[in-house]
Amino acid sequence: MALDFSIILRFQDALVLGLWMTIKLTLICIVLGCTLGFVVGLARTSRNVLVRAVSSIYVEFFRGTPVLIQLFWIFFCLPLILGVELSNLASGVIALTLYMGAITSETFRASLKSVGPEQRDACVALGLPNRVQITNVILPQAVLRAIPTLLSNCVSLFKESALVSAVGMADLMFVGQNISNNTARPVEVLTVVALIYFAIAFPLTRAVTLVEGRILKKLAI
Amino acid sequence: MSNTAPLVKMRNLHKSYGPHVQVLKGLDIEMKPGERVVVIGPSGGGKSTLLRVMMGLEKIDSGSVTFAGKPYISSESADTKTVIDTDVRRSIGMVFQHYTLFPHLSVLQNLILAPCKVRGEKKASAMQRGQALLERFGLGAKADAYPAQLSGGQKQRVAIARALMLDPKLMLFDEVTSALDPELVGEVEQVILQLANQNMPMMIVTHDMWFAKNIASRVIFCAGGVVVEDGPPEQVLGSPKEERTRDFIDRVFHIKH
Ligand SMILES: Nc1ncnc2c1ncn2[C@@H]1O[C@H](COP(=O)(O)OP(=O)(O)OP(=O)(O)O)[C@@H](O)[C@H]1O
Ligand SMILES: [Mg+2]
Repeated sequence: MALDFSIILRFQDALVLGLWMTIKLTLICIVLGCTLGFVVGLARTSRNVLVRAVSSIYVEFFRGTPVLIQLFWIFFCLPLILGVELSNLASGVIALTLYMGAITSETFRASLKSVGPEQRDACVALGLPNRVQITNVILPQAVLRAIPTLLSNCVSLFKESALVSAVGMADLMFVGQNISNNTARPVEVLTVVALIYFAIAFPLTRAVTLVEGRILKKLAI
Repeated sequence: MSNTAPLVKMRNLHKSYGPHVQVLKGLDIEMKPGERVVVIGPSGGGKSTLLRVMMGLEKIDSGSVTFAGKPYISSESADTKTVIDTDVRRSIGMVFQHYTLFPHLSVLQNLILAPCKVRGEKKASAMQRGQALLERFGLGAKADAYPAQLSGGQKQRVAIARALMLDPKLMLFDEVTSALDPELVGEVEQVILQLANQNMPMMIVTHDMWFAKNIASRVIFCAGGVVVEDGPPEQVLGSPKEERTRDFIDRVFHIKH
């Protein structure tokens, strides 16, 4: 059987819709996940033992279990616990946000730690109050340093989001699988789907390298 | 009498890092207004620790420091809290061996952060003072540059300017030229000599003999956590009384008698 890519053209609209769902899901979870990750990253350096313990358990749990199982858990168990029906999108957003929050909290934590103690010394020598030290000196540097890794985290999320197809969300992967089942042409269809993911992820990974170089150059001291 | 009242009075300072590393073992130093004290001594002798204690960056085990007659730092014993008066601390400035400019801020932003945030100075007025200070130090064109774009010597001059923005009553310099390429040492030392001409009280740690001789009104040799010798530069650097001082100066400064 010869490969026939022309078949894909018939499903162009469905693929675009799937891609749109993937992008929408990824963007929402990037915003929510990074926010959550930032707060949790701070919480993990908190002086309060309880805050530290709770945030550590959350992060280790979500980093240490397969995303697919997390998805199933949120999709099927969370509605039972909460007693409310959750839409597919809502469940997907919750699951991937929790995952992204755990991953990016580590990114923020590492970048907070990378701001050296001599910056603190300089702050004290200038008599800067604690609040100013944190908001004007430590956090801006930490966030700048976090950006390259955060971008990588976003690219990973974009690819990982394909897992939501397993719980029936109509994302790019789900549409691809459907088409491939209907046409019995898995090789052509999945190749095209992979190329679509690649076409978006590749420029982003290149951008990471570029941005990283610039930031490191700026913060080099 | 008032002009001989000490600016800084350290009494019986003890400081250790953990249970085994005793660094300061009962240090007594008095400094008069307008004095420029150069502290020399072997590596690990506690010179940086002394300056960091003066800056309020380190807790002490016991002892006290007064500044211009006011209590500044005190602790009863290793188990009690070190009390540091933050108002007094604000009248002291420090420049470190390692570059400590804020890399995400431009040179001028580095200068105005503390005046604006600590003293509530208006941004426009702080920027004006900052620019004037930069001009004075030959850095007028660098106001909008970022620290990473500066040479080591320029960074240290900016760090000095940043500290001066708060009108300190005492400046502390901890080996501020020892991380620099040799050809950049002079420009930083010139700036500090300029301050000396304006009678800025300072406490300086340096291994540079020429600089020590030119800047010091007094030299203190510190070793093993105590003051071994203390006197005018001609004496301590030229003909030290103590054998340990002589050994050190022969070794470090390669001076032949
Ligand atoms: N944060 C710290 N924790 C543990 N030990 C420390 C710390 N800082 C300094 N020390 C130790 O205290 C001693 C005195 O250090 P200090 O830096 O004050 O010496 P120094 O006279 O400035 O030496 P140098 O000429 O090398 O700069 C050294 O033995 C050093 O290892
Ligand atoms: Mg030192």
